[in-house]
Amino acid sequence: MISNSNEIGKFGQISLVWLSIIFGVVWVVCWLVGIALPALLQSSYCEGLGSSAQMISEICKAVVPAVALLVFIPINAMFMVLFERRGLALFTMRRGPCRVGPDGFLQTAADAVKLLFKEDITPRGADIAMFTLAPIIFFAPSVFGGLPLLAAVTNNHELFQITNLPTGIFYILAASSIPTIGIVMGGWASNNKYSLVGGLRSAAQAISYELPLVLSLVTVCVLAQSLDVVKIANQQQGGILNWNILGGGALSGVDKFIAAGIMGHQGDAGTILAQYYPDGVWSILATIVLVASCIMLCGIYLTGACAEINRIPFDLPEAESELVSGYNTEYSGIKFAIFFLAEFTNLFIVSSIAVVMFFGAGDNPIPTWVLNFFWPAFSSAVVTFFTTTAGLSAITSFVQSMHIINPETFFAALWVIAKVYTWVFIAILVRGTLPRFRIDQLMDFGWKRLVPLTLLLFILVVFAREAVVCHG
Amino acid sequence: MGNIISKAMGGMHQVWRGLNTVFGHTYKEPITVHYPDVAPHLAPQFRGRLALTVNPESGEHLCISCRQCERVCPDKCIEITAHKSPETNKLELIDFKIDHGLCMFCGLCTEVCPTACIINTNDFEMADYTRESLIYDLKKLTLSQEESGFYFDIKDVPLPKPKPAKAAAAAKPADGAAAAAKPAAAAAAKPADGAAVAKGPSTATGTLDASEAVAAKDAASPEAAGAKAPTPSANSAEGSKPETAAKAVGKVEAKTEEAKAKPADKVEEPKSEDKPESKEEK
Repeated sequence: MISNSNEIGKFGQISLVWLSIIFGVVWVVCWLVGIALPALLQSSYCEGLGSSAQMISEICKAVVPAVALLVFIPINAMFMVLFERRGLALFTMRRGPCRVGPDGFLQTAADAVKLLFKEDITPRGADIAMFTLAPIIFFAPSVFGGLPLLAAVTNNHELFQITNLPTGIFYILAASSIPTIGIVMGGWASNNKYSLVGGLRSAAQAISYELPLVLSLVTVCVLAQSLDVVKIANQQQGGILNWNILGGGALSGVDKFIAAGIMGHQGDAGTILAQYYPDGVWSILATIVLVASCIMLCGIYLTGACAEINRIPFDLPEAESELVSGYNTEYSGIKFAIFFLAEFTNLFIVSSIAVVMFFGAGDNPIPTWVLNFFWPAFSSAVVTFFTTTAGLSAITSFVQSMHIINPETFFAALWVIAKVYTWVFIAILVRGTLPRFRIDQLMDFGWKRLVPLTLLLFILVVFAREAVVCHG
Repeated sequence: MGNIISKAMGGMHQVWRGLNTVFGHTYKEPITVHYPDVAPHLAPQFRGRLALTVNPESGEHLCISCRQCERVCPDKCIEITAHKSPETNKLELIDFKIDHGLCMFCGLCTEVCPTACIINTNDFEMADYTRESLIYDLKKLTLSQEESGFYFDIKDVPLPKPKPAKAAAAAKPADGAAAAAKPAAAAAAKPADGAAVAKGPSTATGTLDASEAVAAKDAASPEAAGAKAPTPSANSAEGSKPETAAKAVGKVEAKTEEAKAKPADKVEEPKSEDKPESKEEK
């Protein structure tokens, strides 16, 4: 039935190798800056520094998140371009890039080098200052906007705790609206009609789709009673039934009920149900409403996010066939590379937000009671694997003492990576499937469908959550 | 309200079906061919570069200069130069030019050719740096015996009949000289035999022999050159055949030499340089 297992295998291989390179490099850099360097500064080798050693190590720890992002973004964009091209090739029965390096592994690296060495052209009549500033304004928010997510996606790792904000999601949404300005600036400063139309379309589109996007996330925040992304992520721990996609905690009672009643864990089944669903029939109804609303909200969020980052089917600002790639028509060389980089980073960030807000961040989707039923010693086995491995005690003690791998955050990170790239993959699938919207259809869909629907869902959720005990 | 909901559900269903269809293509094998690495499979009827065939068995050129292809060509890209031989009163081909930059590969010339001489080959890699280099002359167009045999075979064209008796008699010694397959001819003219070995019937052995000849310059080349040079004269010196036969021999030999691949031609040049030296030694 599957006659293409060879190509699928290569796709998986490329993803695995690139992902291990990306996150290996990022973690090595973080570890060097955040753990190894401060440890070295405070050791006996650097006694001459005196009290300033303490300060330098504090600074080192503080810059870890920024360093991590700056290392991560270029490598990740390279991988994602390759991932997208190979993925689209799979969907369209092609092979995709398969020449540069072993089986096309280095195609995007070569592309990046080519882009950096290309001539940087500023068209005649362009506003040079704005023209240069536009890619920076487009790119910068994906760096500082992504920072608060770091703590959430790494299961609140101590190196990244510093980036956590009490109003994290608010800050992220605020930052994510800035790139639109960059696009409009770039389009206007290019002295090109197509670019200008592309930039203005982008403004119209971003404003229209910002509303459903923000409203859907606000609804989740209402369910979670928090704007803190780490708190929202932590609330969803304990299996798929606790995730926000399934009612924002409306099914937590069911989860605990099954754990207590069937698996015989602590707690009385009857009291748990009464505690979580106090209003009888109304609670059941509210639970159903909450689950349905949250699934719809997730869909709306993903739609709005697709429009925010100008991906197909919402790529009107850079509609190749109509606008000669819109706002970045006149850009070349490194400025175009920055636009490109930011686009793919935005896709990654949008997927991360979806994972943190709806899909339980670093949480294992299998409920703990299922795990305990099939493999009771699983959680302890994982810990012992990292703490006491027979014959490798020297290595494991070194690993532990130097904080090279933290088992708690390690598995959370693996889950986050898997989930985020699943959403990236789905975005590629959507790109391979759907044609572009017409601009008036786009506006109709945003204003006449999504905005009223989100408002309706918001009201439903606000009332329904009174009848059920949710997160928060 | 109900209308909107049903429309929305219908739309979602359509999108879902689309996603499923596209994802289903993942399981199908890619249709892309690794082109430069893997040669594409081409049908025998594929209309590629035009070429002129020779008789796969005897090696004689099949063009009879009838100019039908020149006349039928819609692009006027074929140019034939021929003259009427005073001896045989037949047209003799002097040059055959095809401008592949003009050609649209309609294949009409191959349809009209009475001797199946002009054919469309399976070669399509003709990219070049100038327009002038796309004008192929007789030397470039004529295929070797093996290639002609290959195309006669895959295109399922009946092999050309041997020429009428007069021409056949004239061609007999030519066969011996070119192919070195007939023992009678070899026995009759020993120097001709030596010449045939030096030249070789096929392009591959031709290059090999030529390189060998270059390697064994001092010892073998005087003999080889000596054997090669008098070939036509030796044939004519037998005296039993008319002069026209001798001319025909020389002509066919020249053609087979032209039909050889380039490397063979290249390596032959130093040989001709060697000739005067060896004569001086003598």
